[in-house]
Amino acid sequence: MELELTEEQSWISESIDTLLSREWVAPQDVSGASAERRCQIWRALVEFGSFGMKEEGEDGLGAVELCLIARSLGSHLASVPFLGSAAVRLALAPQARSLPAGIAALLSSQDPIGVALLEAGSGWTVERAGTRLSRGINGLEIRGEKVAIEQLKAVGQLAVLAMLDGEPALAVTPPSAAGLTRQAQQCFDETVLMGTARFDAVPVPGSGVLGGPEARQVLRRLMTAGSLLAAAEAVGAAGHILDLACRYAGERRQFGRTIGSFQALRHILADAYVRRESGWSAVRYAAAAFDDGDPEAAQAASIAKAYVSRGAREVAHSAMQVFGGIAFTAEHPAHRFLRRIGVRAQQFGDAAHHERRLGRELAERVSQARSALSSPVLTEASSA
Amino acid sequence: MAPEERRLREEVRAFLAGNAPSPADLPRSLDARIEALRGWQASCYRAGYVGRAWPREFGGGGRAPVEQIVVDQELAAAGALEFVNVVGLDVLGPSLLRFGTEQQRRRHIPPILDASEIWCQGFSEPEAGSDLASLRTRALERDGRFVLTGQKTWVSWGQFARWCGVLARTEDPGSGRPRHRGISMLIVDMNSPGVDVRPMTQITGHAEFCELFFDDVLVPEQNLLSSRGDGWKIAMYTLGHERGTAALPRQVKLRTWLDRLAFTLGDRALDGRALLDDPGAQVPLAQAMIGIEVLRYHAQRTVGEFLAGGAVGPDSSSVKLLMAEAEQRLAATAVELLGPAIEQADPAGHDEDAFWEETYLYSRAASVYGGTRQIQRNIIADRVLSLPQEPERAEGARSRLD
Repeated sequence: MELELTEEQSWISESIDTLLSREWVAPQDVSGASAERRCQIWRALVEFGSFGMKEEGEDGLGAVELCLIARSLGSHLASVPFLGSAAVRLALAPQARSLPAGIAALLSSQDPIGVALLEAGSGWTVERAGTRLSRGINGLEIRGEKVAIEQLKAVGQLAVLAMLDGEPALAVTPPSAAGLTRQAQQCFDETVLMGTARFDAVPVPGSGVLGGPEARQVLRRLMTAGSLLAAAEAVGAAGHILDLACRYAGERRQFGRTIGSFQALRHILADAYVRRESGWSAVRYAAAAFDDGDPEAAQAASIAKAYVSRGAREVAHSAMQVFGGIAFTAEHPAHRFLRRIGVRAQQFGDAAHHERRLGRELAERVSQARSALSSPVLTEASSA
Repeated sequence: MAPEERRLREEVRAFLAGNAPSPADLPRSLDARIEALRGWQASCYRAGYVGRAWPREFGGGGRAPVEQIVVDQELAAAGALEFVNVVGLDVLGPSLLRFGTEQQRRRHIPPILDASEIWCQGFSEPEAGSDLASLRTRALERDGRFVLTGQKTWVSWGQFARWCGVLARTEDPGSGRPRHRGISMLIVDMNSPGVDVRPMTQITGHAEFCELFFDDVLVPEQNLLSSRGDGWKIAMYTLGHERGTAALPRQVKLRTWLDRLAFTLGDRALDGRALLDDPGAQVPLAQAMIGIEVLRYHAQRTVGEFLAGGAVGPDSSSVKLLMAEAEQRLAATAVELLGPAIEQADPAGHDEDAFWEETYLYSRAASVYGGTRQIQRNIIADRVLSLPQEPERAEGARSRLD
């Protein structure tokens, strides 16, 4: 597995940073950014080729590249419907040639895509849902309600998890479809607007529905890719607030010396640095595993998401402690980073969700190995 | 993993299947045990698994450094006995290769590799622990020899060592000058008159480390490593090297311990249910696994940079912090989850209970040895984050930058 960035990957990362430094607003001004400016960033990302995905046997971007972009977007607190758009494309690309036409069209579309998985009272599972696909007079119809759909107002297509004949399926519909009503939600981060969508017999053509075992594969990959991108964005946001805190610690004076010379603060910042760097190592490793089609990729993504969800918050808390009272003012950008990290920590499963899953899977593997009395298989993964 | 690395891995596995003694086969008496461990390292050396990346002219294998990492990971995964000359291999050997004269390397490197001569390191002193630069052991030059006087502590394997790498003051730094000036590194023959070794019992019950006393010990001047006053530079290189390369094999070992813990939790029941099936045990187990796996991801990234560039950067301190955290979390999780069963002291589970109790006790050293957790944070604050230094420590901290 290649863990060094290639020249092209470094170039992507630097280019996106340059683009956002030039075209996007400063962290303290993000909530005032106009819709026009947000669209401008989206168009620039599309023009840059951010969604030229690596399909079977072709060149293009993979999870490592999209995580680099997500990290930059998080660092600049950009407000664009990137995460869902990138996650859906990463989930679909490896199966591009066997997808129904309406689903495959998402890969070549320039529209932002919204992800409609979560329902009121449900967790981040893609194995079941309350929303259903049923057969009406005009073909398949979606009935149900989805919550926490990011950038619902800005997206051109929705990827919806719904049950079809008792099995999870993926349906695609534009949010403007008949029978679909949208409503804005309360948002912890007002630059990541969330909405709810009600589906009252929303018709979908058969070519816009993926069912069967392929749907399960795509949906699981969607969770894996979404976890990685959300974690990458959180690492980016954590990195930026940490840089600001280090700079502040080198300037602010109390007791006749710069506060960064007090060991109590130096150690807080050193720990935060370790959390950020190791969080990025985890994301990068898992993204490379995803691109290699490694069977351990989902587990690595859960590890990265669980670790970063806790670690990025920790970094933000530490940075705010270093800033002191000033970071408690609305005008200061610290809370913008904290809010963004909080949202990304939740999406595609929070730390507790992934820890429960990892613990359950470890217990299952050990139980199987115990009954087969073949313990050596367990250490295979760690020395690979 | 590249095909040639995969082949090497298979080769090591086959070797271990045919040759590896198990820890249970070791003799009980400490002296006999050490002899058996020497024999084990020697047979691994003959098979090409020790010093695989060290230069051929001094008895090494002359291969790429990544091969030694592959070998060490396989040895750790199989639970093989550790090399008794670990201090020579991880600490002093690399320093000899980097700073030694041709003659010193020819004399010392081959017996390090086959464990015919065990090494120890004399760095810490009772009054110079984290503040290593305040060390007081003196080596005054007289008639072409150094006369060494002082006391060292935490000297692992000191009672079995033939050689010791000693940091000693050869010059008075003079008032107002940084204290790390005037420190030199001497290669001391432990058979010299005036060397007194006193083993200390650790909290685990073993006597792995010793105190050393030097009373006018004569050290020939050709046993000076590099030049007078280079001791600090060598010590920093040595400690960085230890931090930079030990993490991956250690990570593999932690992973085997995690799997062992999961198996044991499957064996142990509480109120009629296997502990492994309890979500209240599964989540802490997952958290311990996350710490161990993230250590691997981060170490692979930083060791990759080390292998590419050859230098161990300050990021080895991040790896050291993560390594201590992962080990301590795993061990603490084990004693918390097994606690009720350990308390009941079922004779059938005695060996397993004893293993986890010892692992737990030993894990407390992980954030102290090789530079404490606080020292690692200072290194990151100074050298990575470039934060302003504490006024009272500025002099000592500057010395790390020289």
